[in-house]
Amino acid sequence: MNLRNTVGKLSAALLLATWLFLTSCASEPPSRFEQAQQQSTQKGASAVVKESEQGSEFNKFFPGDSGDYKVVFTQEKKGFAQAKLKQNGKEVALMSISDVLNNPQAKDKFQQSTEKIGGYPAVPSTSKGTAVLAGGFQVKILSQDPSFTESDRKTWLAKFNLNGIAGLK
Amino acid sequence: MGKPIFELVDELPTNNITIMTLRALDFVVPGEWNNTVGFVNTIREVTGEEDEDTIQAIGDRAIWLYNDKSQGYQRAMWLYQTVDNADTALGAAAIANKVGEKIPLLGFLNRITPNPQKAQSIDLCLKLVVEIVAFCQINGIPGDSIGDFVGSLAEEYSGDSLMRMAALICIDGLIPLGPDFILKVHNTIGNLSAGDLENNSTFSSISSFIPGGSPGGQLEFIGNAFDGVQDWMGNFVSDRGLSPGAIFQHLQGFVEFSDDKLDFVAGFLDMTTNYYEHTGTQTIARKLIERAVGEI
Repeated sequence: MNLRNTVGKLSAALLLATWLFLTSCASEPPSRFEQAQQQSTQKGASAVVKESEQGSEFNKFFPGDSGDYKVVFTQEKKGFAQAKLKQNGKEVALMSISDVLNNPQAKDKFQQSTEKIGGYPAVPSTSKGTAVLAGGFQVKILSQDPSFTESDRKTWLAKFNLNGIAGLK
Repeated sequence: MGKPIFELVDELPTNNITIMTLRALDFVVPGEWNNTVGFVNTIREVTGEEDEDTIQAIGDRAIWLYNDKSQGYQRAMWLYQTVDNADTALGAAAIANKVGEKIPLLGFLNRITPNPQKAQSIDLCLKLVVEIVAFCQINGIPGDSIGDFVGSLAEEYSGDSLMRMAALICIDGLIPLGPDFILKVHNTIGNLSAGDLENNSTFSSISSFIPGGSPGGQLEFIGNAFDGVQDWMGNFVSDRGLSPGAIFQHLQGFVEFSDDKLDFVAGFLDMTTNYYEHTGTQTIARKLIERAVGEI
């Protein structure tokens, strides 16, 4: 009886060990995006707060067409509006206005700002972008073509109606 | 809740019949579509970013945006997935049976049923309507705005979106219905009843997202959608000199068929490809990332 018990326990332990070994081999390492996935799918999580400004309010503050350049509006969501800048039909930059209420840490980088555009703090943001903080709103231009340089980004940021944007609330 | 967006993009295939078909259509929209797969790869391509912390921040924000149902990206994904009804088993079998260089169509004839003209016309129109609704969901435009969509087709469609429209014209228009597909679809939809529409299984699955209120109103919306786009389609075909013959010739790069079996090519592609879902996933990922990089 004792022997049978021992054998039983041993084989159960062996089975468990095999199972643990196999499952640990089978499962992949968690994705680097798993944390964002879990947090953003919790009850009550939302990416856009209801107090944020309607994207349609932003459109009138974008620069207009100029010379070879054309501004083509793309996304218009709550708290966000985006347009492509095209030069002779070729996409050279992405331009956007966003309400920082939806992503408050976006403001942090402006504390390091040493430069102003139109009187508002400006910083390099991501390796191909430049951003301005106008009141509670971030205005950003991202180059989509190497011909569109940092200096072009600053020139086009200055063409936004930054005072109008800052005055939204 | 479906799969996370980063998994959907990471799991996009790099070699199946959908990919071979889209590559064969490169001559229609040269260089527009490169089959970018992988979430991080897509972030790199869209933003040109190499810094890992920044890539992480962009990816995290894109995931938050996708998972917020009020933002419409998930609904667009569901529509792209649902309107495609590929038989993946048949697709896998075709690849497995590949002898030498090409897939011999002959081995699959008994499993392929060519779509009659009425069903094919409905298929094409439903895919078009899904594109309009998904476009509005993704870009934040009211759901019935055919005019905004048509304007965007000319101004903004490029890359994976333009390839999807090219494939729609070629695979669901020119190949199954012939060079006068626009006229055929127009006439078929004009003679359709609300009952015909209700009997269509794809329509049943997506009808709650089609504007129009009732099947009758939805039929009208579908007709208006096709009428709104037919000039653009006609110009697309004539500007490129597209014909069924030219497309068959390019498809023969990977699938082998004789002239008396052309009717089966459309059925084969319909059953083995999911180009709407594939390129739709790529479009949604790109739009999320473009927004995320603006917001971080």
